[in-house]
Amino acid sequence: MKRLGSILFLAFVSVLITTLALVIPANAQDITPESNSPNLTLYTTYPSLVVGPGETVSVDVHVRVASQAEVVRLQISEVPEGWTATLRGGGKTVQAVYVQADSEANLELRLDQPKTIQAGTYRVVVTARTPNASAQLPIEITIKEKQPSRLSFDVDLPVLRGSPSTTFRYSVTLKNEGDDEITVNLSANAPRGFQVNFRYGGQDVTSLPLGAKESKSITVEAQPLVDITAGSYPITIIAQGNDTQASLDLTAEVTGQPSLSITTPDGRLSGQVYTGRETSLKLIVQNTGSAPAKGVKLSASAPSGWTATFDPEVVDEIATNAQSEVTLKIKPADNAIAGDYMLTLRATPTQGASKSVDFRITVLTSTLWGITGVVLIAIAVGVVMLAVIRFGRR
Amino acid sequence: MSALERAEVKRLREGSPWTGLWAVVAKEMADHLTSARMRILELLILLTAGGTVYVAMQQIRASIGSDRFIYLKLFTLSQDPLPSLIGFLGFLVPLIAIALGFDAVNGEFNRKTLSRILAQPIYRDALLLGKFLAGLFTLALVFSAIWLLIFGMGLIGLGVAPNTEEVGRLLWFLLATIFYGGIWLVLAQMFSVVFRQPATAALAAIATWLFFTVFWNILASLLAQSLRPIQYGFLEEALAQAELELALTRISPNTLYAEIAIALLNPTVRSLGFVLPFQLEGAILGTPLPLHQSVLLIWPHLTGLIAATILLFALAYILFQRQEIRA
Repeated sequence: MKRLGSILFLAFVSVLITTLALVIPANAQDITPESNSPNLTLYTTYPSLVVGPGETVSVDVHVRVASQAEVVRLQISEVPEGWTATLRGGGKTVQAVYVQADSEANLELRLDQPKTIQAGTYRVVVTARTPNASAQLPIEITIKEKQPSRLSFDVDLPVLRGSPSTTFRYSVTLKNEGDDEITVNLSANAPRGFQVNFRYGGQDVTSLPLGAKESKSITVEAQPLVDITAGSYPITIIAQGNDTQASLDLTAEVTGQPSLSITTPDGRLSGQVYTGRETSLKLIVQNTGSAPAKGVKLSASAPSGWTATFDPEVVDEIATNAQSEVTLKIKPADNAIAGDYMLTLRATPTQGASKSVDFRITVLTSTLWGITGVVLIAIAVGVVMLAVIRFGRR
Repeated sequence: MSALERAEVKRLREGSPWTGLWAVVAKEMADHLTSARMRILELLILLTAGGTVYVAMQQIRASIGSDRFIYLKLFTLSQDPLPSLIGFLGFLVPLIAIALGFDAVNGEFNRKTLSRILAQPIYRDALLLGKFLAGLFTLALVFSAIWLLIFGMGLIGLGVAPNTEEVGRLLWFLLATIFYGGIWLVLAQMFSVVFRQPATAALAAIATWLFFTVFWNILASLLAQSLRPIQYGFLEEALAQAELELALTRISPNTLYAEIAIALLNPTVRSLGFVLPFQLEGAILGTPLPLHQSVLLIWPHLTGLIAATILLFALAYILFQRQEIRA
């Protein structure tokens, strides 16, 4: 008797444990479909879903009847607050479905989220009932938390070096680390004398769309305008969009460079010379660069037989935005033919690019020889006069 | 010559030898301008000028705007089968000049009017110079008229006014054309003094012209080859020969006139002689020379033409003064 009692107790405990084992997971969001009759089955292929906030969820629900045809009433017995759940079949909202024996009917459960929603796990339960059986289908929906929008810049070479005529090009990668698409506005803080453009895909852009987790390579072009002195110029580029912004500091190091030009006091690059006669032309060598030009050597390439000398031949230094006056002495060849000739003048500083200018020289022949022609005519007239004196007045 | 004789000569030669010169000039010009011979020649040159300028204008219109000197092109452009106006002028000018001068003196002589004129208080000096000047003035008048006609045709046909550079060049070319006519005029007058028959004088003048037009270039080439032969094939030898040939051809007034026309009407011409390659180093080709440089280029040619005209006149004068005319 005592032995029987202990066996009964053990059986009771084991049943209790089994029951608890069955019940406890159900309380902790169990998603196993339940049915109190093998005749009625309510199920879905994917009972647990992960969706983003605001997404409409659609779940396929299947109702199966085993032995005989039945009308199954359907009900959404549990739905989170604020959610709207509807069962749809054949394009309409339905409350019951007729199922043939040993077959199943397909329904769609549509779930609309409320406008504001916390991340978390939500539970929806669909109940199916026949007169003598009932089944439950719990569905678990997890709302995933979104990554906040975040922009970041990346650059390989933030410091570039160049002359005042260089266009500084920085290859910058702009990345959207958030889950939302952002339209990014690009702007730059540059010192005076710089013009900054953003180029993407060969086009100048000021804003560009950036998808979730997308990164784009942008070229930042900083072009120094003229008259910029040597030095280091910081440039800050800023990307803005959807309450987030990123900035990046770039540096343009402008090196000094002399830039020479040759002209004349009145700006004309032409002159007249007589054959075999030395003519002086005044030239002006200007430095419009950002560094002084030192040891400027002047040279001319003239046709053979000509002499072209400069006084002085070397200008020691021309400061920035200063000029120096030089005299060019040209003597064309004695047998030079009248007409226009090209003379190339060149100024070469010890450091920096040389500058050449084409000078047009018109060679004129002296009118001195013209007098011989007049003398010839005078002699002819003289001959006539002699003839008149000798033979005249007959 | 004794002192007495010299005194007698001095006494005989009194007053200006040019008395009555302008009367002769006026009468001769009136004769020239009303003569049928002159009408025919004027018509001829008018047709030539009109035709060539019209053809040139057609060509200029096809390529208008590409040239700074379109009025000069009116003189130089040609189209087969018609030569350019300067080509025509090259032989029409001598023809007119010879036609004006070949019977100047012998015509008077044959009409027995010479002694009648000289019976007036007019010296032979004035008669010959007057006839020459009248011919020259007639040429000047005719060519000026042609020039103005061409300017007018240009203004109407092209609708562009000539620039000063073009006008300057064409005026110098007009002067050269008149003196090119002058040399043939004085040559024809000289033959009219030498030969009593006008036909002979005309033939002689035309023969001279033909000689210079056709044969002189050949002769100059032959002379240069024989005087400066190329023995070793050096460049200097070839150059010397070519320079001699050029100098010899320049004895011909035709060559002088052609070179004047080239230099004046084509401003890009820089030299009429031989140009060595090193002389063109650095030269900007195709740029026009200023007018005074072009004139300097042809100055020897022009003064040569004028001086030759005057010298030929002196020769004609001496021949005429020494001639017996009372027969």
